[in-house]
Amino acid sequence: MAVALLILLPMDVFAIQLHASSEGIITHQMGHLFFLFSMVALIFTVTGKGLDRQKGWRLIQYSAFFFILWNLASTTAHFFDNQIHAVKIENISFGKIKIITSNDSSVLAWFYYVLKLDHLLCVPAMVLLYKGLSTLVAEQKTSLTKQDTP
Amino acid sequence: MIFSSIPILMVDVAGSVAMVVIALLSLYKATRLREMDPDNAVSLYLLWICVGFTIFAVSRSFGHILKQFLIVTANTETWHSISSYSGSVNTVSFMLVGLITLFFNQNWKINEKILAGRKKLEDTHIKLMDLNQTLEQKVVERTELLTSSEHKCRRIFEQSLDTIMVTDSEFKVMEINPAGIVLTGYSREEMIMKKMTAGSFFADHFEWERISNLIDSKEYILNEEIEFLKPGNETLLVLITGGVDYGAFGCAKSYHFIIKNVNEKRQMERQIAQADKLAALGELSAGVAHEINNPLGIILGYTQLLLKEESKHKDDLKIIEKHVQTCKTVVSDLLSFSRKGSSEMGIVDINKVVDGVIKFLSNHSDFRNIEMSLNPHTGDMLNILGNEQELAQVIINLVINACHAVEGKGKIDIATQKTKQDKILIMVKDNGKGIEKKNLSKIFDPFFTTKPVGQGTGLGLSVGYGIIKRHQGDIRVKSSEGKGTIFTISLPADNSII
Repeated sequence: MAVALLILLPMDVFAIQLHASSEGIITHQMGHLFFLFSMVALIFTVTGKGLDRQKGWRLIQYSAFFFILWNLASTTAHFFDNQIHAVKIENISFGKIKIITSNDSSVLAWFYYVLKLDHLLCVPAMVLLYKGLSTLVAEQKTSLTKQDTP
Repeated sequence: MIFSSIPILMVDVAGSVAMVVIALLSLYKATRLREMDPDNAVSLYLLWICVGFTIFAVSRSFGHILKQFLIVTANTETWHSISSYSGSVNTVSFMLVGLITLFFNQNWKINEKILAGRKKLEDTHIKLMDLNQTLEQKVVERTELLTSSEHKCRRIFEQSLDTIMVTDSEFKVMEINPAGIVLTGYSREEMIMKKMTAGSFFADHFEWERISNLIDSKEYILNEEIEFLKPGNETLLVLITGGVDYGAFGCAKSYHFIIKNVNEKRQMERQIAQADKLAALGELSAGVAHEINNPLGIILGYTQLLLKEESKHKDDLKIIEKHVQTCKTVVSDLLSFSRKGSSEMGIVDINKVVDGVIKFLSNHSDFRNIEMSLNPHTGDMLNILGNEQELAQVIINLVINACHAVEGKGKIDIATQKTKQDKILIMVKDNGKGIEKKNLSKIFDPFFTTKPVGQGTGLGLSVGYGIIKRHQGDIRVKSSEGKGTIFTISLPADNSII
């Protein structure tokens, strides 16, 4: 009887869940936090394995530290502009922007302005990663040369 | 608040470009690291991280540059419409980097296992190399020992003066050393091609049966004295020792024999025994002869005195005289045999003696139907230090014996030779009936004779033996029944007059 009713009298069941627009930024923020967490894990793992005795791995640790800072900066910036909408940028003219804060806080405006210069953290992080890898390559080369020398 | 957007713009664009460039350089370095140590899981991990960072840098930088471009060119709305996609790609890329990074610990453990495995493998490899080297060394050492041993065995086999012979399970000759070839008189090829057996060398077939049965039952034979028969019907005495080899390392059963030629040794032993016997007989004979000689002299003296007077027993006395004379001759011969007689020594030309004997005997009626030939040694003189009459007596005895052996009709060869060892040989050879094997050891015994009673005293050869011994010589006999006999006298040459 119930089966017959279901077949003969179909209705909307709303099976697909609708997503709010804030899900994107939350996912992005979670991504940043995940990245941050993985960098923290990397630093501790490198230390735990005793790899920090090698210069190359120490540089990679420093790189991870800068990525942590970058993730913190990015997460904070995204928190202000996309999550709580405490900050808003308006282009006034070429070369001029207006940072509008929710409570007209100049400190927040300046803080946000500095946060927007996040490349100053991620570029050194990448440079340190490159330097670390270069050092590992050089060490490996030296090790191979020693092995080849009778 | 109003800010200059130029620093943000500059840092954003330059930073984005720098990110891409440095990410690519890092990727290159990671690739190099991987190439240098392809088996290292950590270098593979770093390569993955760099790939992740490159994706992250490219996606982010592209987004940022595009954003700045659209904002500067007053297309902010366009940027708003695509910013969600750029942000999503960006999110995925750094989550990817995060994920890869979190695998570092796992990756490290795998690498440690790989390294530990490699270390074990290297250690095992080193051990194996050591073992292999030791094995090779041992193989070389063992091969050298084996070669040396084989060489020694081969030398023993080749150089041995005794015969070493190997036969198969049916006693067919497989291997024989050079001494064996000389001993048996057959060539190696002949023995192997004709599949000759060890029994082929035996003079007596029943003796071979006994020996082969013995070796099969006891698995060895030790110093068995056997008579071998050589191809020219020449026989020789050998001592044979043998054993069974049941084979090892897949070899078939075989028999090994060591054969020693004892022919000369046995002959020597017989001669020594004969000499000892004759010496003992000589001592006995000398004693007897001495004791008989004096009474015989008295009997002969008184008989001759009685014969000078007229007596009716004259004929009887003559018979007594005749037999006493015979007894005196026998006693004289005995004394001669036992070296009790005296003889004067001088330089004697043997050829002259032999020639004189032949001339003397050829006129005798017994030698009419006998063909006598002389083959004297030519070249240097055959001088010895001795008594000519005694030596002539010995040769006469031998020739007369030869005459009896051919039974009045046959051939007698007399030859003289000088050997390299300064020995002078006188050979008297006949083609008569020969001497029976059982009698060969007795012919030099005093009173031994095969002639009918009354025809011989049995002292001829024994006296001859005594004379030759007194001359530091030797007399030997070789006889084949039905074929003939050869007596060989050996005397030391005297080189004082050449």
